[in-house]
Amino acid sequence: MFGSIPIISIIILLPLIGAIATFCLGRYEKYAKWVALSFSLAALVLSVLVAVDFMVEPDGSATGYHEGNGFFDFQYYEEYSWIQSLGIRYIVGLDGIGLPLFLLTTLLTTLSILFSWDTKHRPKAYFGLMLILEVGVLGVFSTLDYFVFYIFWEVVLIPMYFLIGVWGGPRKDYAAIKFFIYTHIASLAMLIAIMAMYFQSGINSFGMEDIWRAGLSEFGRTFQIVAFAATFFGFGVKLPMVPFHTWLPDAHVEAPTAGSVLLAGLLLKMGGYGIIRVSMPTLPEGADAMQLVMAVIAVASILYGAMVCLAQRDLKKMVAYSSISHMGFVLLGFATFTQLGIVAGVFQMFAHGLVTAVLFMMCGVVQHHAGTRMIPSLGGLSKKMPNAATMMTIGFLASLGLPGLVSFAAEFMVFASVYQTWGLWLLVPMIAVAVTAGYYLWALQRSMFGPLTENIDTSHVHDINWFEGVPVGTLIALIAIFGVFPLVVFKYIDPAVRIVQVLFAGGG
Amino acid sequence: MAVWNYLESLLPQLVLIAFALVLPALDYLFKDKRVLALVALVPLVSLVVLLVGWLFLDAWTVSTSMLDLIEVNAFSGLFMLVFLFVGIVVVLGSPEFIRADRNQGEYYSLILLAIVGMTVVAESTDLIALFVGLEIAGISSFALSGFRKSEKRSAEAATKYFIIGGFSSALTLFAITLIYGIAGTTRIAGIEPMLAGNPAGIDAEPILTLASVLLMAGLGFKIAMVPFHMWAPDVYEGAPTPISGLLAAASKKMGFAALFKIFLIGMILTKTDWEVAIAALAIITMTVGNLVAVSQTSIKRMLAYSSIAQAGYILIALPVGTQYALAGGLFHILTHAFMKSGAFMVVAAMGAVAIGERLEDFKGLNKRSPILALTMTLFLLSLAGIPPLAGFASKFVLFSSAVSASLDPGPSWLIWLAVAGVLNSALSLYYYARVIKYMYMDKGLETTVKVPPILTVAILFAVVMVVGIGIFPDPFVEACRTAAEAFAGLPSGWP
Repeated sequence: MFGSIPIISIIILLPLIGAIATFCLGRYEKYAKWVALSFSLAALVLSVLVAVDFMVEPDGSATGYHEGNGFFDFQYYEEYSWIQSLGIRYIVGLDGIGLPLFLLTTLLTTLSILFSWDTKHRPKAYFGLMLILEVGVLGVFSTLDYFVFYIFWEVVLIPMYFLIGVWGGPRKDYAAIKFFIYTHIASLAMLIAIMAMYFQSGINSFGMEDIWRAGLSEFGRTFQIVAFAATFFGFGVKLPMVPFHTWLPDAHVEAPTAGSVLLAGLLLKMGGYGIIRVSMPTLPEGADAMQLVMAVIAVASILYGAMVCLAQRDLKKMVAYSSISHMGFVLLGFATFTQLGIVAGVFQMFAHGLVTAVLFMMCGVVQHHAGTRMIPSLGGLSKKMPNAATMMTIGFLASLGLPGLVSFAAEFMVFASVYQTWGLWLLVPMIAVAVTAGYYLWALQRSMFGPLTENIDTSHVHDINWFEGVPVGTLIALIAIFGVFPLVVFKYIDPAVRIVQVLFAGGG
Repeated sequence: MAVWNYLESLLPQLVLIAFALVLPALDYLFKDKRVLALVALVPLVSLVVLLVGWLFLDAWTVSTSMLDLIEVNAFSGLFMLVFLFVGIVVVLGSPEFIRADRNQGEYYSLILLAIVGMTVVAESTDLIALFVGLEIAGISSFALSGFRKSEKRSAEAATKYFIIGGFSSALTLFAITLIYGIAGTTRIAGIEPMLAGNPAGIDAEPILTLASVLLMAGLGFKIAMVPFHMWAPDVYEGAPTPISGLLAAASKKMGFAALFKIFLIGMILTKTDWEVAIAALAIITMTVGNLVAVSQTSIKRMLAYSSIAQAGYILIALPVGTQYALAGGLFHILTHAFMKSGAFMVVAAMGAVAIGERLEDFKGLNKRSPILALTMTLFLLSLAGIPPLAGFASKFVLFSSAVSASLDPGPSWLIWLAVAGVLNSALSLYYYARVIKYMYMDKGLETTVKVPPILTVAILFAVVMVVGIGIFPDPFVEACRTAAEAFAGLPSGWP
């Protein structure tokens, strides 16, 4: 469809131009949301067109087809030299792993902008920063050069730091700086690993594919283990994995709703994406040696996240901890090293992105309308806001893995792959399913149903606004569609992951 | 024309000296003292144009020399570019800051003379020439930091700087004497071969070690290396803000030029002994600088400690000791010159519009002057090494050189330099981000201020360089590479 048009670069550039335009609005700041929405919508439309045009089983006729010869196969491949003296190129391309996340990024950004429609406090900066965040995340999911990857990775931090710090809750200062420094340290561990891979490979190139190829012969076992540990730490903090998760509840609780949506929906996915794109293929022996560590951390995250949810009084904090639990499934899927598990892990990232966005948006709605998110103060809100209560119920049910909704497909597959690999150890992470159902239903019962609360003044509570309902409704529709037809996404992910399998057969 | 041949390589310095001599006289001619700044800019800008033209003509590999004292090559060219760039920023930043002061002609004259001294250090091939350069630059800077002689803090800064500077010069001179005593030469490149021949017929090792220690101390004062850093925050705080910029961004770099020359050309022989020590000093310097910066309440003191930390990063180049590492060090010197002088110019602008120089004064700056807040944010993020700004590019090369050398040819402990470097960068983010938080997230006074245009030009120039180098680092990396290749004795280390 796109011929020789550099479509990926255009999609990455659109929000950047939009951000600059938004910042430059001067005193016409009430149009900021319109500018931001139109640019993010344009990026969304183009990325949907890309997804439609994307060839699931690519051959030479696919647009911008680049065969990885053992590495991943990419489409819409673009390559330009940038810093020659260090072998740094700007390379972008999409494969079946990157595409769903790329699409998720444009979708969630657009919906978050819509959701924030009534932002009055410094709207130019608010919407501009959201678009810059989109640039960073899109770059991470599509670039194929480590140096550029790192740049996009870090670009994400700054807008998020401001989103939390300026528009956040009461403890925003602490949460913003903790988020910034915690994840920055993790990025730096990854940076050192990238430098080490670059020099160890002995070729003057930061290209992921080049380094992978050179690594087949140049990366010894010890080197791989050390480098894997460093990148795993770098990506794992973002994921987040227990015990490096402590930045997440703070950041989430204090961030504005749209910030939380992007944080949980997109930023966490960057961690999982890094593991599957960088750590495992390039350092297979390291991954092999660390398999058990990965699995244990994954199970610990799943169980710990779920248990802690039970004790939360703040609705949003509960959702934040549930993210830790659900992202643990991603890692657990990857740790099986089976094709099923890896596909399930990638799919779980996509599913969690949709579901958690609904949950955070609904927390925002409750906060907005009832004035508090504290579960003990709430109760019986369904009488005042029936539509919101319905949406929240669907969101919670989707997140606890109700069959027919998107998370079920993903989590079921993770469990299946765990059974394949470790047999009845499956029962350990299984406990989380019961706990998850428990905390969600309990929270729902205490906040939405039962007698109407008397702890807060509910006389002004009204139902969900249109600009809140549209994004949530869209997401719920997608959750249902992909829940019934998960194969639509699987067939994209599957071929790319098959290559991961080949990598392991050759390397580990 | 034999005389001309000698002077040819000193031409830039001669031009600068000529202007420096004329400027005090012009002070009596013009009522509007801003003209003086324009006059002082003439030689700086034209020399930059010449140097950059020279860079693009690929002529940096050519070198000319004079009397075995001065050699103009890519290394000195790069440093000269740094000094001139900083000079431009500082001169642009000055007129508004000192508009009420007397003796403005002398002020600009001294800036030019300080730059002359710095360039002589970068070009010297002989310890005597190097020392002369250090002194020219040093004495001009002492006078400059005491420019507001009626102001107590300024006078105190100048006195402190003078005493410490004199002490460090004495140490350096003593070290040079010792080297001359055992090697029989003051030519930097000649030290090693002469020592190998052992002209004095004695065991040179202990004396050479003593000389190394003295040099480290003497030049350590110049670059504000821990534990010789105590003077820097006081002086930077007390000196007129543009001069603090000059000291942090240029004068300090002169110390590095000297350090690189003496240690990398002169004393390769004893390298094995001192590389561990300098690595330790580098890590201590960056850590102390960053830790102490966290608790500062004055922005100038915070920037002073941050530049101590930056000196620690640049020191990484010495123990790693490859051309790649040196190029990384040079690159960081170049980028730091812009980030730090730019940050000081923002502070100078805040002083000029009477906002103040405490950290508190940054509160709500975004409301009062969006341009100052935005540029300061860019400088601080660049100092912290956040991509895609210049500071990231140079730190990347610098730290990666330690990673590279630790893999091959070793020793493997060098990787800890990179680890210490990145951890310190993360630590530094804490106090940089706090300033950003003050500017954007906290409430301060609401009155808007208008930054004088000439200061805005200075700041924008630095911002353009910080962003430009970050996005197009290639020509600068190449320039640093060429400069580092002037040190032919070092292993390449290039990827």
